[in-house]
Amino acid sequence: MSLISNLFVLFVAAAVVLYYLTPKKYRWICLLVFSYLYYLSGNARYLFFLLFSTAVTYLCALQIDRMQQNGSGQKSMKRVAALGLAGNLGMLGLVKYTNFFVDNLNRIFHMNMKGLEVLLPLGISFFTFQSSGYLLDVYWKRTRAQRNPFRYALFVSFFPQLLQGPIGNYKRLAGQLYEGHEFSWEHISAGLRRIILGFCKKMIIADWAGVFADAIWGDLDRYNGAAFFGLLFYGIQLYGDFSGAMDVVIGIGNLFGITMDENFRRPYLAKSMAEFWERWHITLGEWMKNYVFYPISLSKWMTRFSRWSRQKFGRKTGRVVPIALADLIVFFFVGIWHGASWKYVVYGLMNGGIIAFSELMAGQYRNWKKALHISGKENWYQLFAIVRTFILVNLRWFFDRSDSLGQGMYMVKQAFTHFQPAQILSIPAGTGGTAFVPWALLIIGAGCAVMVTAGIVQERGGRLQERMSCLPVPVTAGIYLLLLVCIGLFGSTAAPRGFIYAQF
Amino acid sequence: MDELMEILEEICPDVDFESETALVDDKLLSSFDILSIISEISDAFDITLTPAEIIPENFNSADAMWNMINQLRN
Repeated sequence: MSLISNLFVLFVAAAVVLYYLTPKKYRWICLLVFSYLYYLSGNARYLFFLLFSTAVTYLCALQIDRMQQNGSGQKSMKRVAALGLAGNLGMLGLVKYTNFFVDNLNRIFHMNMKGLEVLLPLGISFFTFQSSGYLLDVYWKRTRAQRNPFRYALFVSFFPQLLQGPIGNYKRLAGQLYEGHEFSWEHISAGLRRIILGFCKKMIIADWAGVFADAIWGDLDRYNGAAFFGLLFYGIQLYGDFSGAMDVVIGIGNLFGITMDENFRRPYLAKSMAEFWERWHITLGEWMKNYVFYPISLSKWMTRFSRWSRQKFGRKTGRVVPIALADLIVFFFVGIWHGASWKYVVYGLMNGGIIAFSELMAGQYRNWKKALHISGKENWYQLFAIVRTFILVNLRWFFDRSDSLGQGMYMVKQAFTHFQPAQILSIPAGTGGTAFVPWALLIIGAGCAVMVTAGIVQERGGRLQERMSCLPVPVTAGIYLLLLVCIGLFGSTAAPRGFIYAQF
Repeated sequence: MDELMEILEEICPDVDFESETALVDDKLLSSFDILSIISEISDAFDITLTPAEIIPENFNSADAMWNMINQLRN
């Protein structure tokens, strides 16, 4: 059931009505029933994977909690945590990466092994990470284990976030799911406003940008002079699509009185690649930092490597080298989390490589800035840092969007050697054909101008949402009604597109 | 405490560790900074940190780090 469908709107409306009609004590059960109905509506055959992930992490966390209360040894608890993670992430690895390994083995050894004939279960990359994070939080005593299996099942399956995140943290989310929230117009209004904004981002900006990006990547021979614009359109599409989906998801949570973690914070205004990852897909970055980056960096073998590194490279550089290595490992995982393909490995390592290089050079940068009398707070320097990061971020999208590593390399080459922007005028813009191209470009441009302006205002501390809620109700209602009309008038007239991250 | 302040100022010379109390929450310390600090204090104070200790409460201020170090030493 797509987030953009009449059926989904009816589904959410029914869930909200029934939630508030149910006695407060049992409202979480209403959420659980609707969450499983939602998952079953996608593909009932894959229910096993959701149930398996829930059961393995529930049982292991409960066992670790009991052992902690009984004062059992750390090693035994570690074994149980490892077993739970192996089961949960092993399942993810099996369905997501088996065919990738088989394909590569076949290529290297000229064999003809068959892979798994299984479609990727809906939302598996999100719910396995969420449940694994919970298991580690219990192991590290950041939270107690949930004893009620049905309550825990709701934490893993809460329907708005099940397919695309945000990846929830148990301590911040679970209590809100179990608490029966009072009906409040304020929550409903905030939720509806957020949902409408999300639909605008997705159906007006992302889908129109997607028309051009898809056309360019779909016929590389014909549009070989427009690779640069293809990249720009894809960057706009991806942001509008994913952050629009998050607005819809978080808005639905608001309808139930639930506040989910934010997943975006004006990422294209980041001043470094490291900062970009604190603003883009924030919950994945947090997850990787807490559950992969820190544990790898503090592991025994990394501590030994750190000592060797300091002897070899000196105290300052030697201290950063192991952290940079851990960073590369993390971004290798970030890459393959996005998909089982070498292009994602390159995409991940580009991110990690840029961040690691920046950290290794941090001291040198500081010296250069000092010598040039640059404090780093000057407006021109901030703008330079934003533009530099924007270019680096967008260059990585070549590999994210392309079908293969080879195609990504071809697009990079085309972007720098062949520039014929007029080619985009021959791309059919939905049902309007090529005659509508200038209008479609105007819609994208206007949409981006609004997003950038709002982003700059928010970046400077302006609270747009709060200001909107202070306006008289008829004015607010009028503005959002106008936005709904805009979706109808200016939304993409090309074939409807699903959400990109719903495929993970 | 003086030794800790020296380490912190060497790793992040632009941060005011005397007065800041939300180093992690306000994103004044990056994850690289935190790991660099851990690397140095582990050696300087002969302590071993695990991922369980890496929570914002332990790194939001120099005082919080000092308290964590003392707890791990005891």
